[in-house]
Amino acid sequence: MTFLEQVGRAAIVQVEDAGALAMQFWSVLRKLPRVLPVVGARRRWRSVVEQMLTIGASALPMAGAMALCTGFILALQSASELRRFGAVELVVEVVVIGFTRELGPLVTALSVSGRSASAISAEIGTMVVTEEMDALRVMGLDPVEFTLAPKYLAALITMPCLTILSTLCGIFAGYLFLAFSMDMSLRIYFQAVAEAIRLRDVAFMLVKSMVFATIIVHIGCLEGLRVRGGPEAVGHSTTAAVVKSTFLIILADLGTTAIFYLMGWSATG
Amino acid sequence: MINPNAAKSGDAVISIRGVSMSYSGRRVLDQVDLDVCRGEILVLLGGSGSGKTTLLKHVLGLAKPEAGSITMNGVDITCCSQPELGAVRRRIGVAFQAGALFNSMSVEDNVALPLRELTQLADSTIKLIVWMKLIAVGMSDAASLYPPELSGGMRKRAAVARAMALDPEILILDEPSAGLDPIVSAELDELILFLKRSFGVTILVVTHEMESAFRIADRVAMLYQGRLIAVDKKEQFARHAHPRIRQFLDRQPDAMPRVAAEEFIASYMRGSKK
Repeated sequence: MTFLEQVGRAAIVQVEDAGALAMQFWSVLRKLPRVLPVVGARRRWRSVVEQMLTIGASALPMAGAMALCTGFILALQSASELRRFGAVELVVEVVVIGFTRELGPLVTALSVSGRSASAISAEIGTMVVTEEMDALRVMGLDPVEFTLAPKYLAALITMPCLTILSTLCGIFAGYLFLAFSMDMSLRIYFQAVAEAIRLRDVAFMLVKSMVFATIIVHIGCLEGLRVRGGPEAVGHSTTAAVVKSTFLIILADLGTTAIFYLMGWSATG
Repeated sequence: MINPNAAKSGDAVISIRGVSMSYSGRRVLDQVDLDVCRGEILVLLGGSGSGKTTLLKHVLGLAKPEAGSITMNGVDITCCSQPELGAVRRRIGVAFQAGALFNSMSVEDNVALPLRELTQLADSTIKLIVWMKLIAVGMSDAASLYPPELSGGMRKRAAVARAMALDPEILILDEPSAGLDPIVSAELDELILFLKRSFGVTILVVTHEMESAFRIADRVAMLYQGRLIAVDKKEQFARHAHPRIRQFLDRQPDAMPRVAAEEFIASYMRGSKK
């Protein structure tokens, strides 16, 4: 194969990927109302609750611990620099702004991506291999509505909640650091936090977390549905799901941050 | 030549006409004609790679053929609309090879699923129907178990119960006896015969197990390399002269690969002596 052919083929694969992503997104979006409680199909929202527990609630310890560590690291690193300017109190601002704008959603998304993107693609891939997807179709049930849509909705609900909680963990880690290093009291710390936190940043954080949630579920489902052949293909798909979703999360983070920056929304004022 | 014993076409619940399909240049199905008549058990035999799974996918409307038509109850499912296909599918029950039960639901919920999703029946009625189906397949004491806790035979029984949930006219079974020991496999054969006797359901079985095929079948059809080489009443089928059928019936291996392997080894030995 010549170099040009290779480039062309790789480009086609990427375009196909993008096309498949868009098509799946559209078909899920159309089915999303069906899984809502009250207005949706009966009983479907129960699987949403189940998914919320597996995607969201069980990820809490991990996401919280990661945020706690990251918060502590951030405080440590920034304190050693800020101390030179005699501005250790600014650690509070660094931690609060860093977490609401950036690290809260990112750390949460990375932990959920590692747990759920792989789990989702494994689950869906196994359903493809064991003909459960075919069984659904033959029974006249739409696999998108039945298996994909509940996961989307669950992720869209739980990810912002998780992000808020892990951001709180990160900010609390900042307090732990300051309490140890300069005996700052909890009251004073949280006063400083209240001054540093801004509604716009929190909104930004929630938007980001929902974008990341979509990426994680979307890639997990797509890779799962792509499984062809035997059980070993499921293994490949889980790896691909984690790698792709992690990469796309970072890419989307860059994208959203750039948009917010260019709109002038991230200026401190 | 293909369909000597088929009943009048008006009697056919499924009629497959000239269905062809190829994947990446390889012919998987080649001009397949087959009728499944009301109330009969038709066994579709074929070795691995003979195209029987592909044909099944087409019959279920999961794949569209390149040419030909598949008519079920008068509706051509190769060119009908999605709602029409849905209506046709509601009258078919399918038990897939590995059962395709949903692992997150108990056996009872698996059987109840089509009833809950596709009918407006009250919960108490659904429960009653589910229990009737589970008793019919002999699974009533395993109702609260989850699919991973079931043995192979139980999984297949549960799959049959789910396939029967909506009282289908046609029951399609994919490899019902594959991977089961002879006793369980024989029990499953009995179950299939029982379902035909007591519910009058038309049954299409796809399998490669000769013994089970001859036990349950009214008629046997044989696929080989995508072609239907024989469709016959089972008594005639057993006396069929086609070399491939004889080979299948007598469990003879293909000659080619062995010769090729021997030649390869011989040439390898010659090469290594030099």
